[in-house]
Amino acid sequence: MNASLAIETRGLARRFPGGHGVHGLDLAVPAGAVYGFLGPNGAGKTTTIRLLLSLLRPDAGTIAVFGRPLDRGNRAALAGIGALVESPSLYGHLTGRENLEVTRRLVGAPRPRVDAVLRLVELAGDADRLVRTYSLGMRQRLALALALLGEPRLLVLDEPTNGLDPAGIQDFRALLRRLTAEQGVTVFLSSHLLPEVEQVATHLGVLDAGRLLFQGTLAELRRRAPARLHVDCDDPARAAATLRAAGEQVLADGDGGLSVAVAQRRAAELNRLLVESGVGVSRLASDDASLESLFLALTRREETRA
Amino acid sequence: MSAFLRACGRTLDAERLKLRRTLALRMSIVTPAVVVALCVLQLGFGKTHPGSDDPQAAWRAFAGASFALWAFLMMPLFVTLEAALLAGIEHADRQWKHLLALPLPRAAHYLAKWAALLALLLGASLAFVVLIAFGGWVLAHAQPQSGLAGWPPWTWLLRRCLGMVAAGLLMAAIQLWVSIRWSSFTVAVAAGMGATVAGFMIGQSRFGHWYPWSLPVQLFARHGHPTFALAASALGATLVLALSTWDFARRDLE
Repeated sequence: MNASLAIETRGLARRFPGGHGVHGLDLAVPAGAVYGFLGPNGAGKTTTIRLLLSLLRPDAGTIAVFGRPLDRGNRAALAGIGALVESPSLYGHLTGRENLEVTRRLVGAPRPRVDAVLRLVELAGDADRLVRTYSLGMRQRLALALALLGEPRLLVLDEPTNGLDPAGIQDFRALLRRLTAEQGVTVFLSSHLLPEVEQVATHLGVLDAGRLLFQGTLAELRRRAPARLHVDCDDPARAAATLRAAGEQVLADGDGGLSVAVAQRRAAELNRLLVESGVGVSRLASDDASLESLFLALTRREETRA
Repeated sequence: MSAFLRACGRTLDAERLKLRRTLALRMSIVTPAVVVALCVLQLGFGKTHPGSDDPQAAWRAFAGASFALWAFLMMPLFVTLEAALLAGIEHADRQWKHLLALPLPRAAHYLAKWAALLALLLGASLAFVVLIAFGGWVLAHAQPQSGLAGWPPWTWLLRRCLGMVAAGLLMAAIQLWVSIRWSSFTVAVAAGMGATVAGFMIGQSRFGHWYPWSLPVQLFARHGHPTFALAASALGATLVLALSTWDFARRDLE
């Protein structure tokens, strides 16, 4: 087991009746990373998280957290994990502070941690209100405070921005960046909001039908889909013929322009080629694939193969 | 072992805080108060009363009637409700997924629930004793012909009270397992109410001294088996608690 990895799973599998579940997952989450865990609904993200938190027992495979094995008989590794699984789990009849106090007593955290995490999630002013009077966003922030109470080295967050307004999402994003930058916390972030993950993640795992389709950095994922160059010109037909004759892959983009894979020549070379052949170029723009399009391409490719 | 005991101490400490402002806590006073109030009203407005020349005998008659109602009906219903409410605290907002992801042995959470249920049962039973004394004092002044006078037989009352708690252990262990195993409040309450109602018939049959919900009644029944009831309850509760804790510790949370 590799201690430089916050999470390491080998052949992790859990099958439910009907064949759903996860199959042979080999996760490798580097310490200090913000690992975006992406997948369509039903891909097995929550099952994976429940396995990582020892809420489910695997049918096969092993889990290690910072090099320490984790299973039902060996739960000490959970001490380094703070988690928020799906919707917040809170005691509505207790105040926000009392909710934190319950968990503080369970994990044995020092008393000042309660006020510290309340300040961190900006709930200090509402700490003595009953949680049943909290808005969804406040509940979400309190759940995050609960996850942070034990000063975890690893945060496991399942759809953490559900219920947050745009300002709340921005604050949450800033908080995640602060936690990783200042405290070196590793974040395992499952979300269906792809642009949300794109903005904070350093590493990605893409899951579909219980199988890990991709794992690596954002840059590595982008390399799987080469950047394209968008060309607006006065004579698309001649431009396409010129570029094809020069060995380029050219696609019509549907708006009267062209889309060219830039694997072989750089933009300046393509521009010179077109101008020398008498094509008037009005615009050249690089068209980086968004995470969403890469993600969809990856999962659809799997569907096609199946 | 000491780490496990420390974990149990933590879960117990947390359980104490979770009980704040709960119906479970209020019911431990309300339920015995209802039983004593009914018995006081029955004797206060009824045509018959103990009417003994011996105040201690009058106390025992009054307390005996209260204990009978408690053991036969209210204590099983109280255990049913309290177990369902204690489990419901965790089922309501799917708290188990938060609790069981903490680095504590799963069994410590279950045993804390068991301790909380026992504490509530014991607290309600002790409140029942105090309320019997208060009810008797009210009757002594409102109905002097009841024969109640002087101090109640505290030792007798406490022995009966603790005996009933001990005889109710098996019922409590089963009810806690049902309440935690199934997240539906309705299932837990229906199981407890069904078992209590079944006890009306089974308790009077030759199987009565085997039936967990009838064991507390065995302490008062004319042809009861009090020693057997206490032993069966203690041993049965130990077995059920061990099995249900094992089941809880290994179950998946889906």
